[in-house]
Amino acid sequence: MNLADLPLLSLLLAIPLAGSLATILWPGTPLPEQLRRVAIVVMVLQILTSLLVLVPFDPSDPELQLREIHSWVPGIGLDYRLGVDGLSLPLVLINGALTLVSVVCTREFSRRPRIYFSLLLLISAAVNGAFLADNLLLFFLFYELELIPLWLLISIWGGAGRSYAATKFLIFTAISGMLILGAFLGLALLTGSVDFSLTPVTSERLAMGSQLVLLGALLVGFGIKMPLVPFHTWLPDAHTQASTPVSVLLAGVLLKLGTYGLLRFGMGLFPEAWARLAPALAIWAAVSVLFGSLAAIAQRDMKRMVAYSSVGHMGYVLLAAAAATPVALLGATFQMVSHGLISALLFLLVGTVYRKTGSRDLDVLRGLLNPERGLPLTGSLMILAVMASAGLPGMAGFISEFLVFRGSLNAFPLATLLCMVGSGLTAVYFLLLVNRAFFGRLAITPVDDPLRHARLDIQLPSVATRETVPAMALAAGVVVLGLLPSTLGYLSEATSTAMAQLPVLLAAIGEGGAS
Amino acid sequence: MPVMPAELTIDGGMPPAEELVQRLLSGETLLADSPDHLLEVVGVLESYGEVLDAYSINLIYQAERQFLNPFPVFKYFNGEITPGKIWRYLNHDRINFEYAEYCMKAMLWHGTGGLDAYLDSDAFTASCKAIIACKCRRDPLLGLLHPLAPSFLPELIRSAATTHALGQFWRVMSDLFLDLASAERDGRVRSIPAVVAFIKDGLVAAAANPITYAVEIGSQPHWVLPPEAGLSFLVDVAVPYVEAVFLRGMPFFGTVSFNAQARQISTDQGRFAYGALYADPLPTMGAGIPPSLLMQDMLRHLPEPLHQWYRQRSRGDGDVRVKICRSFQKSMFCVTNAAIDGTMPHPLDAGEPTQRQANRAHAEAWAARLAVARTDCLDGDRPVRA
Repeated sequence: MNLADLPLLSLLLAIPLAGSLATILWPGTPLPEQLRRVAIVVMVLQILTSLLVLVPFDPSDPELQLREIHSWVPGIGLDYRLGVDGLSLPLVLINGALTLVSVVCTREFSRRPRIYFSLLLLISAAVNGAFLADNLLLFFLFYELELIPLWLLISIWGGAGRSYAATKFLIFTAISGMLILGAFLGLALLTGSVDFSLTPVTSERLAMGSQLVLLGALLVGFGIKMPLVPFHTWLPDAHTQASTPVSVLLAGVLLKLGTYGLLRFGMGLFPEAWARLAPALAIWAAVSVLFGSLAAIAQRDMKRMVAYSSVGHMGYVLLAAAAATPVALLGATFQMVSHGLISALLFLLVGTVYRKTGSRDLDVLRGLLNPERGLPLTGSLMILAVMASAGLPGMAGFISEFLVFRGSLNAFPLATLLCMVGSGLTAVYFLLLVNRAFFGRLAITPVDDPLRHARLDIQLPSVATRETVPAMALAAGVVVLGLLPSTLGYLSEATSTAMAQLPVLLAAIGEGGAS
Repeated sequence: MPVMPAELTIDGGMPPAEELVQRLLSGETLLADSPDHLLEVVGVLESYGEVLDAYSINLIYQAERQFLNPFPVFKYFNGEITPGKIWRYLNHDRINFEYAEYCMKAMLWHGTGGLDAYLDSDAFTASCKAIIACKCRRDPLLGLLHPLAPSFLPELIRSAATTHALGQFWRVMSDLFLDLASAERDGRVRSIPAVVAFIKDGLVAAAANPITYAVEIGSQPHWVLPPEAGLSFLVDVAVPYVEAVFLRGMPFFGTVSFNAQARQISTDQGRFAYGALYADPLPTMGAGIPPSLLMQDMLRHLPEPLHQWYRQRSRGDGDVRVKICRSFQKSMFCVTNAAIDGTMPHPLDAGEPTQRQANRAHAEAWAARLAVARTDCLDGDRPVRA
C-alpha cells in the first residue's frame, strides 16, 4: 500500500479529535490517571502519523503536498482542503511533541480531568488543522477552534488571577480572529473570487492601497497572536495564570499560529504589499525584540520573564519575514521550532521550581542548584535552556538566530543589528534569572535578615526522575537540533526558498503579462 | 512573610549567649537531651572514630616515612602501593586524607598553644639544623636545595611535627569515640549528659599523655619533639586543635579570593570564625570545601541504625551528607562541652564567690564565641516562626 494514498493529513486531525471525544464520552467514572494514559496513547499515535507523513513527503518540492480535497460548503467557498509543505510539517511535528509533553507533565488532577484532557487533545487537533489548511476559511475555523479550549484551560485550571487573564486572552484573540476573518472576506469581496484559496494577489487583481489595508489587518491579527509589541499585553498575564502544561502549549505551539499565519497568509497572499511594508516591519521587529528583552530584564516573576522573552524572540521571525531572503525564511522556520522547544523547556522548568518551592519570585529564590537540598537537575537543565535561548553555539537557538541575522543583515542592517542587541539582552536577563534563583546559598525567603537567612535549613521535596523526563527530552531536542540542523533544513529549505522567490516570480509574470 | 509552605524550612533560631552560660554553669549540656540526639551523636562519632583511625595512621605514616620527601607522590598509600590500590585511588574509592592535612595546616597556621611555642624555640631550631645536616648528607637533592631555600626544610619539619602530633591526638580521640559507641551499645551511656561525661573523662584521662616524635635517618634516631619538651596531650595539642579546627578554621579554598576582595576576611586570625562549629551544612557550589570531604568519609562508615534514621528523613540518601554534617556539629558541641567542663577552673558546685566568678568568666568567654556558631542545631528542629 502506498502511504501517499492514505489520508494521513486527515488522520492528523481525526486522531486527536477522536481522543478528545473518547475522553469526554468515556463511560463510567474513569480515574484521572487512566484518562492521562489514553491521552498519551492518542498523542503517540498522532506523532507516529506525523512521522509517517515524512515518508511520502518530498522535501525538494516547495508546493503543498499530500493534498486532500473535498468539497464542503461550496456556496461560501469553504472546502475541506489540506496540504503540507516544508513550513507546516515541522510545526505539525512540534505540535504533536509538545502536546505529548503537556499531557505527560500534567500532575494535578483535582478538577475535571475528563474535560481537561479532552480540551488538550482538541487544541492539538485544531492546531494541526490550522497548519494543514489549504483554504482561508478552513484555516480560520481551526484558528478559532483552539481559542475556546485554551480560554477554558486558563480560566478553570489557572492561578488565582485566572479570570482576568483568561478574559483578556479571550478579548485579544477574538479581535485577532475578527481582523483575520475581515481580511479574508475583504479579499474575496474585492477580488471577486470566493474560492478562498491561497493564491497570491497581484496588483493587477487588487489595487496596492486595498492590499495594504488587508495586509494591515492580517498583520495586527497575527501580531496579536505572536504577539508583537504593542499587542502583547495578554501574553504575560496568560502565562502567569496558566498551569505549566498550558504554558508549554501556549508558548511552544499556539504562538506559532501567529508567525505561521504571518508567513503563509500575510507574505504569501500579498507579496507585493509585503515588500512595500518590509522596511517598517523590520523596524517593528527590532522594537518588539528590544521591548520584550528590556521588559524581561525588569521582571521578578520567572514566568513573566520567560513570557517577555517570547515577545522578544517572536520578533526575530518578523525580521526574517521582512527580509524575505531564503536564508532568513529558513531561519524563521528554525526559530519557530527552536523557540517552541526552548520556551516549552523553560516553562516546564519554571513550573517545577514553582511546584517544589511555592514561589517564582527572583527576590525570594536563591541557590536552587544546591546539589544536596536544591533542584540540581532542574537547575542544570535551566542553564542549558537559557544558553540555548541566548543563542549559544551547539544548540537550536544559535542556528535559528544565526540564520535570521545572516539572512536579514544585507536587507535591513540597522534592524538586524538592533535585534542582535536584543539577543545579547537575552543573555542578560536569563543570566540574572540563573544567578538569582540558582546560584549562591540555598534559600526560599526574602533576604531581610542575612544572619537568619544563612541559617535556614531548607528541605525542598526532591524531583523524581519521571518528573524530569519531559524536560530531558526537550533538552535533548534542543541539543540535537543545534548539532544536526540539516535535519530540519532538509525539510524546509525548498519551501523557504520558494517563498522568498515569490515576489520575483510575480514580478516576472507581471512583466511577461505586460509585454 | 514566608511565601512557601512552612514545613519546607527549619528556623535557624540560636540560643543567646546568656542561655549558653546558664547551661554551662548549671551542668546542663549544650545539646538538648533526646533519643534522636543520642542516636545522631553516638552514631556519627562512631563513624568519625573510624575515619580518625585512618587519618591518624596516615598522618603518622607521613610524618615518619615521608619525612622531608620533596615528592611525596604516594603519601596517602601508607606504604602499600599496588595496582588495585592505585586504581581505587584514581577512582576516588578512598578516604579523603586531604581533610586531615587541612586540619594540620589550620593548626600550623593559627599556631596557638604549647606545640607552636616549642616549634618557635631555640631547641627546635637546633634539632632542625642537626636533622637537615644529617639528611642532606644522605640526599644530594636536598643538599642542593637547602642552600637555595634555607627556610624551606625547617618549615617542612615544623609541618611534619604538627602532622605527627595531630596523628597522636586523633589516635586517642578515635579510640575514645569507638569506645563511646561500645558503651552506648552496652547500656553504659544512655543520654547526652552521659555522652559529654564520657568524653570529658576520656580527655581528662589522656590529658597528661606525652606528645613526642622522632625520625630515623639511616639507622640513627633523631628527636623532633623530644620528651624534654614536656608537650602533653590536652594543653599542647587538644586545645590548639579545638581552637584551630573547631573555632577558627580557614576560609575555604576557592572562596578565599572572593572573600578577600570583598574585605570580608579579618586580618586578625583570632577573629576567624570558619571552623567546624560555624560551617554551613548546606554546601554552596563548592566542590572540595573541606567539611564536605569529611562528610564523604564518614558516610562510608555510618552505623546502620543511624543510616536508616537518615534514610527516613527529608531526601533519604539524597542529602545524607548535609544530615551527617548537622549531626557532626551536634557531636562537636558535645566534645566542646566536654572540653569546657574539663577546663572549668573550679567544680560547678563550688561555694566560694571568687570561684563561682572564675567559673562564670570561663563560661562567658566560651559562650561569647559559641553564640555565633551553628548553635541552631542544639535544640532540635523546630518549625519556622513566621
